[in-house]
Amino acid sequence: MEPAEVEFLAEKELVTIVPNFSLDRIHLIGGDLGPFNPGLPVEVPVWLAINLKQRQKCRLVPPEWMDVGKLEEIRDQERKEDTFTPMPSPYYMELTKLLLNYASDNIPRADEIRTLVKDTWDTRMAKLRLSADSFVRQQEAHAKLDNLTLMEINTTGTFLTQALDHMYKLRANLQPGESSHSQDF
Amino acid sequence: MSDSYFPVGPGLGMEENFLSLDDILMSQEKLPGRAESALPRLAVLLGQGAGSAESVPEGSKLEIPLWLAKGLHDSKRRIISVELPKIYKEAWRTVFSADANVVDLHKMGPYYYGFGSQLLNFENPENPEIAQTILQAMTLVCFLQTFIARFRRIMDSSQNAYNEDTSALVARLDELERALFQVGQKGLNDFQCWEKGQASQITASSLVQNYGKRKLAEVDG
Repeated sequence: MEPAEVEFLAEKELVTIVPNFSLDRIHLIGGDLGPFNPGLPVEVPVWLAINLKQRQKCRLVPPEWMDVGKLEEIRDQERKEDTFTPMPSPYYMELTKLLLNYASDNIPRADEIRTLVKDTWDTRMAKLRLSADSFVRQQEAHAKLDNLTLMEINTTGTFLTQALDHMYKLRANLQPGESSHSQDF
Repeated sequence: MSDSYFPVGPGLGMEENFLSLDDILMSQEKLPGRAESALPRLAVLLGQGAGSAESVPEGSKLEIPLWLAKGLHDSKRRIISVELPKIYKEAWRTVFSADANVVDLHKMGPYYYGFGSQLLNFENPENPEIAQTILQAMTLVCFLQTFIARFRRIMDSSQNAYNEDTSALVARLDELERALFQVGQKGLNDFQCWEKGQASQITASSLVQNYGKRKLAEVDG
C-alpha cells in the first residue's frame, strides 16, 4: 500500500466547515450531507472540505485536537511512555498534512502544529524501530501494537513482515524437516 | 513498471524455488567435495585430466556446483561426499557469534543464507549448529537493518537528502539482505515523497524519460 492510498482512506474522516453558500441536503452513496447554510458549521468528509476550500466556498474549523497546548501534552506523554500512546485521531499525520497544506490560513499557529506533529511522529517511529529490534532479537512470534496508526504501520510494515518471513523460514530449518525428503527416489 | 512485475523469490529453505533466478544463481556456487567412487569419462569436465576416456579416480578432490552435488548425493550409494565450505565451519561460526555486524557477507558468498540452508540437505553432524548460526546472523543483521534505518533517518531529517548513494552500506550485505534493505528504503522514501507532496504530482515514466526525443518522434511519425 502506498502513502497516497492511506491518505485516500484518511480523507473519509469528518471535519467541520463553515460554508458561505446555501445548498439543500445532498444524498451521497456513503451517507447524506448538509444542508449547507452560510455561516452555520456542518460536518463533511475531508475530501469535500478541501475541495470546497479550494473553490473558496467555505472556512475550515480545525479539529479539536489540532491545538498547540494539546499536541504538546501528547508529545510529552509519548516521550514518557514506553509503549505507544493513543493518538487523537487514527489519521493524525494525514489530517495534519492535508489541513495544513490546504487551509493553513484557518488554523492558528500552523507552523508550531506542524513541528509538534512531526516531533510526535519521529518519537513514535524511533520507538517502533526500537521495539521491532527487541522483537527480532528475542525471536518472538507475535506482538500487540494497539495504538499504531495505519500510516506508521504502512511505512515499516513491508520491511518488517518480510524480515520476519525470512526469519521464520530460517528457523524452520532448525527442526529436522519432514517435508524435505519428498523428492527422495 | 516494478508494480506489475512479480519475480519468483528465493526459497530459503531445504528446497529452492524451481523458477527463482536467485536460487538458480545460488545453486551454481561451488562446493568442496570428494569422489567416493570412480567416475568414468568425466575427467575432462571436472578438470582432472585431458582425454575424454579418462575417469576421475576414487578419492580425488572436486569442486562441484551445489546443484550437481545435490543430485549426486545419496546417503546409501556413496558417489561423492561433501565438505562444508570454510565460512560455515566452526571457526567462522565463532566469529559470527562474536559479532555478526562486522562480517562482510557479500564477500563471503553473495547468497550466504540461501546457500547455508541448502547445505542442510547433506546430512552433516554439524547441521543444527549451522542452522543456528545462520539464524543468529539473520537476527543480528535485522538489528543492523534497524540501525541503518535509524542512522539514515537521523541523517535524512538533519540534511534532508534521502536520495543519496547507499552503496557503501549495501556493499557488505548479501543478496537477501539487499532485497530487505531495498524494501525498507522504499517504505521510507515513499513516505517522505508523500510528505513533500511529490506523490500527488504526475510525472513521466522513467521508461519514457530514458527514451530520446528523437526516437520518440520516429515512433510518432
